[in-house]
Amino acid sequence: MNLLAVSINHRTAPVELREALYLGNEDIKSLISSAKEKLLVEGVVLCTCNRTEVYGFPFDKNIGHNDLQNFVIEKKSSFNINPEHFQSFLSREAVKHLFSVITGIDSLLIGDNQVFKQVKDSFQLSEEMSFAGFLMKRIFDFALTAGKRALTETEISEGAVTVSYAAVQLIEKIFSSLNKKSALVIGAGETGELAAKHLQDRGISHLTITNRTIEKAEKLAQSLNSKIIPFTNFKEHLHEFDIVISATSSPDLILTKSDIKSAIKKRNYASLVLMDIAVPRDIDPDSKNIDYVFYHDIDSLNIIVEQNLTKRRTEIPKVEKIIDEEVDNLFNWYNSLQAAPTIKNLRDHFENIRLEEIEKNKNKFSSEDQEKLEIVTKRIINKILHQPTIELRKSAEAGENTIESAARIGILRQLFGIDNNRQDEEKK
Amino acid sequence: MVNFIDFLNWLLPVFYIVTFSIYSYDFMTGKKELANSKRLFLFITLLFHALYLIVRTIYFGHPPITNVFEIFTVLAFAISFSYFILELVTDIRGTGPFIIIISILFQIISSIEIEHIVTVKDVLKSNLLGIHVFSALVGYSGITISAVYGFLYLMLYKEIKLNQFGLIFNRLPNLEILERLSFSSAVIGFVLLTCAIVIGIIWLPRAFPNFSYADPKLIGTSIVWILYGIGITSKLLGKWRGKKVVIFSIIGFVIAILSTMLSNFLSVSFHSFY
Repeated sequence: MNLLAVSINHRTAPVELREALYLGNEDIKSLISSAKEKLLVEGVVLCTCNRTEVYGFPFDKNIGHNDLQNFVIEKKSSFNINPEHFQSFLSREAVKHLFSVITGIDSLLIGDNQVFKQVKDSFQLSEEMSFAGFLMKRIFDFALTAGKRALTETEISEGAVTVSYAAVQLIEKIFSSLNKKSALVIGAGETGELAAKHLQDRGISHLTITNRTIEKAEKLAQSLNSKIIPFTNFKEHLHEFDIVISATSSPDLILTKSDIKSAIKKRNYASLVLMDIAVPRDIDPDSKNIDYVFYHDIDSLNIIVEQNLTKRRTEIPKVEKIIDEEVDNLFNWYNSLQAAPTIKNLRDHFENIRLEEIEKNKNKFSSEDQEKLEIVTKRIINKILHQPTIELRKSAEAGENTIESAARIGILRQLFGIDNNRQDEEKK
Repeated sequence: MVNFIDFLNWLLPVFYIVTFSIYSYDFMTGKKELANSKRLFLFITLLFHALYLIVRTIYFGHPPITNVFEIFTVLAFAISFSYFILELVTDIRGTGPFIIIISILFQIISSIEIEHIVTVKDVLKSNLLGIHVFSALVGYSGITISAVYGFLYLMLYKEIKLNQFGLIFNRLPNLEILERLSFSSAVIGFVLLTCAIVIGIIWLPRAFPNFSYADPKLIGTSIVWILYGIGITSKLLGKWRGKKVVIFSIIGFVIAILSTMLSNFLSVSFHSFY
């Protein structure tokens, strides 16, 4: 299989180069259009925040990894990107790499399940642009199977691996359901926004934002359909919240122990969760000594993150096994796309049908007619298969496993259900 | 028949220990493959235990509630059976080992000490006694389960407060659920203990000429009942919550156990049958 793949990712290039090579949908479309003209018969361009990759079958054997790399570099020629920043894969290794990407074991954040959707979207875009043909479709079918199996058969994506998600995981160990709880997010920066989004995803009943710059709070509140309270008097409302997540860039403490004490008293000692994900901290860490107050800072949340990452790492061998199995399945299918065995399979398939029908109906004929029946049916089958056999032989003579011949053979096998029949026979 | 009863008597601790081991293995490893088989094992154990109790009742001509070691085996059954129902209803499967171990303790003591009593005092053949003992036993299993969940609540509370995110943190349900399970079990226990006490007050003076309100078991049960009454009322009124309620439940359970042990083994009264 002459599948080429080039990848620039977190292992091969620093973040500024990865950023430089980041391609939006329009960029990918333009790249695909050029690739279709110059380099690849079919392919897929994948771009996530940590990787840009091109997979494809070249027009001819003279086109190699260097051409593909240069083609990508040309698109972003103003940046100092060179071939050393790429990983290159061929055939089985390229497939294996794609499967590692989709299962999340090649991600910066091991087990990142967002990559599954990103790969799927990339493939869909290629399909829309008629860039993903018969072979690419099959490869991505197997890739999606590997991705789904990794998600369901292993724990590669279990547990929180980001601080803001770990905060939500911890909150869910205290409260049974967030749909009757209210939360206050202090700080409308990137971290605060992420935490607020996680809370909303988990179904928080009331979400309120406060920020020193009210406009920023308003903007975030609008995007999340939540309320805001002014930063100047949020402490007066502290007791109304079950969860407080603080993520400001304030150099000083925002909430003191006495603020918390007074809030918990007003709450009649109903549990209060404080997640201080700011550096330096926003909430007096001594608050953890107050009964019914669950105070956690970024260090304690990092413990959960590390534990989950360790757990995910132990799942990698299981995912690799799945990848190997699916790569084998793909190549078993691909190896069946050869002319000579296909001619034999096709003839066997028709001969079986002929024999079955004769067996069923032979009693309707006299013994003399049965001989004639044998001859006539054989002749019909031979005539039907004459033209397909000639075409398949031509493919074989032209050199097997060109993309066209593989696609033609694949469609033929699919049309007559040859692979299905063989699998049934093997099972029997 | 006696041989069969003896065989079951020794088989039950083995069944409970095997079930406990499966639940514990599942708790320690967190693997999902035993999630259903452990429940099946508990069901089989309960089935054999029910068979044992029925065969015993038929053969000896009275339900196994006439002495403390007969009561222990019924208590072991009641605790695991209540847990089984709780697990089916709530689908919370991570707390089994902590409950089943209590059944193991009661069953082992019962299996070692139980005797074949064919003749029992006439007073113990009353139907009211059956209801009295049944409600007291299910009531006690309710408060036992409540105390176990209370204990688990305290362990998880401590782990979260101290940033120790180990097995307890990863496997147990959240604090609110543990508190709810502990409270619901305590309410069921309290209601049934109330029934047992009411029936006792009506029936005991008629059945025992030497009846006394100063009976240690009666005093012990009354203290436990008052404690649970205070705890449940305070929780319902919203005055107490969380840690305070579960600590009360654990104290109630400890007093209940101590009072049962003291009144059964140390003092002699109309309420001691062994």
